[in-house]
Amino acid sequence: MNLTVFMLTLQQFAGRRRSLLMFGLALIPVIVALVYRLGDHLDQHDWTANILLDGIVVTSILPLVCLILGTSALGSEVEDGTAVYILAKPVRRREIVGAKFAAAALVAAVFVLPATVVSGLIALQGVSEEGIVMGFAIATLLGVFAYTAVFIVLSVATSRALLVGLGYVFIWEGLVTELFTGSRYLSIRQYCLGIADLISTVSEGDFEADLGGPEGLILVAMAAAVALLLAVRRLEAFEFTDTD
Amino acid sequence: MTATSQSGLSGSSASPSPTVELVNVSRWYGNVVAVNDVSFSLRPGITGLLGPNGAGKSTILHMTAGLLRPSKGTVRIAGRPAWRNHEMYRDVGFVPEKETVYAFLTGYQFVLTSAKLFSLSDPAEAARRAIRAVDMEAAQDRRLGGYSKGMKQRIKLAAAIVHDPQILLLDEPLNGTDPSQRLQMMDLLRRMAAEGHTIVFSSHILDEVERLAENVLVIVAGRLAASGDFRAIRRLMTDRPHTFTVRSSDNRRLAVALVADESVSGVELNDEHLTVRTSQFADFIRAAPRIAKTEGIRLQELVPTDESLESVFSYLVKR
Repeated sequence: MNLTVFMLTLQQFAGRRRSLLMFGLALIPVIVALVYRLGDHLDQHDWTANILLDGIVVTSILPLVCLILGTSALGSEVEDGTAVYILAKPVRRREIVGAKFAAAALVAAVFVLPATVVSGLIALQGVSEEGIVMGFAIATLLGVFAYTAVFIVLSVATSRALLVGLGYVFIWEGLVTELFTGSRYLSIRQYCLGIADLISTVSEGDFEADLGGPEGLILVAMAAAVALLLAVRRLEAFEFTDTD
Repeated sequence: MTATSQSGLSGSSASPSPTVELVNVSRWYGNVVAVNDVSFSLRPGITGLLGPNGAGKSTILHMTAGLLRPSKGTVRIAGRPAWRNHEMYRDVGFVPEKETVYAFLTGYQFVLTSAKLFSLSDPAEAARRAIRAVDMEAAQDRRLGGYSKGMKQRIKLAAAIVHDPQILLLDEPLNGTDPSQRLQMMDLLRRMAAEGHTIVFSSHILDEVERLAENVLVIVAGRLAASGDFRAIRRLMTDRPHTFTVRSSDNRRLAVALVADESVSGVELNDEHLTVRTSQFADFIRAAPRIAKTEGIRLQELVPTDESLESVFSYLVKR
């Protein structure tokens, strides 16, 4: 990883609009948990695991935050032409991808992880946590790595990365994997749920993933590794021009 | 066609290996040919890549900078392939035409970032030196977002020379600079060339190339139309057939007088003006007022009708 590219990317992410958007997204599960606490808050384990942490955090907030950061980590520089200032340097492409990935994953984790833990603890207040918060915290952290890596590849593979990414999040992850259980092996969301299920001790009646925990761990690591490898290869062959 | 810089002919046994070498390079996008079978080799000195907008200058520079893969042919920098060779950038500095920079960085931070990416032993000192060279010390602590186009050009140049590269590639570097900035940048590039650097810059402005480059590559429609010493190319451009529109107090009588002059190859009498063809540009513009005066005719207008750079270039291509 190249430290200069890493720091440069963090500075790029520090823009006020992007930070506000991230903060707003991270706030959603916390607000939902607070609203839930104001009501009857029955079936706390079931609601927290399935509605709050799976339905809102893992299905929407996690991929959206990673989509925004992953596609802009390198994609925005490619789009506006500033990428030439890092590409025309004696820096290995894998170091560039590594730095972009590390910066995007770090910022995504800074927003998603507290949102997961705080909202989960609010929703489960007054009952035993049963490893749900810990399970989803680790699952979302690993999910951050996989999603960010996938969206970085998208940003160097297509100029419409944000659009393709949104389609992937809402159509593939949100709809297709929900309808066809066979697609669970090709779903980062399902990997995350498998990991959360592995760590949590809550009863199967309250929360059960379609995918085994060990499988989820292996597949999430593979997804991140393969995506990063593809991003490096794509960047090595990346053609940059602002032709006259 | 092969071009060489001022230091001598390519392939001469006494001269060192070329620092920049393109051999039968073509580049196409789908069915559109952007660069067509271009070959040249360059040694230290300043080379101007001259051509109209859309001629393929940027494409050639991007291929030379290793940022674009040639569809055909090879590009070598200091004897090594340019494409997919990040180590090459230790010897190469590249200034893109695009104005966009990291708006959130100050000028100093931008150049320092560049120095760090080149893994220099003292990046801070190198950054200060490069900023001094482009005379941007006064604005170095301001954010790039607030820079004028000329200031951006200079700070981009500082970032490209921070590692003192052997080869410097600049895409339209003088765009947006004011006359004093332009002179200052030209002086800097001349100094670097005198120190033995190979500098290649693109421009669509004849005057810029004339003032800066010792060696010229004329690119038209993706092809190398002419190459070599600027004076020879300038002569070719001047001696090509020219057309003038002439208005006077008596067009008919002036036409008769002009057609007798040896600098004139043809005259066409129109309703309100004459169209005069000549292949001796300088002789004709001296002869026309003299002839008019001798005939007692008042010359009202004498305008070349085909002086656009495109027409000059298209002549060179057809030649």
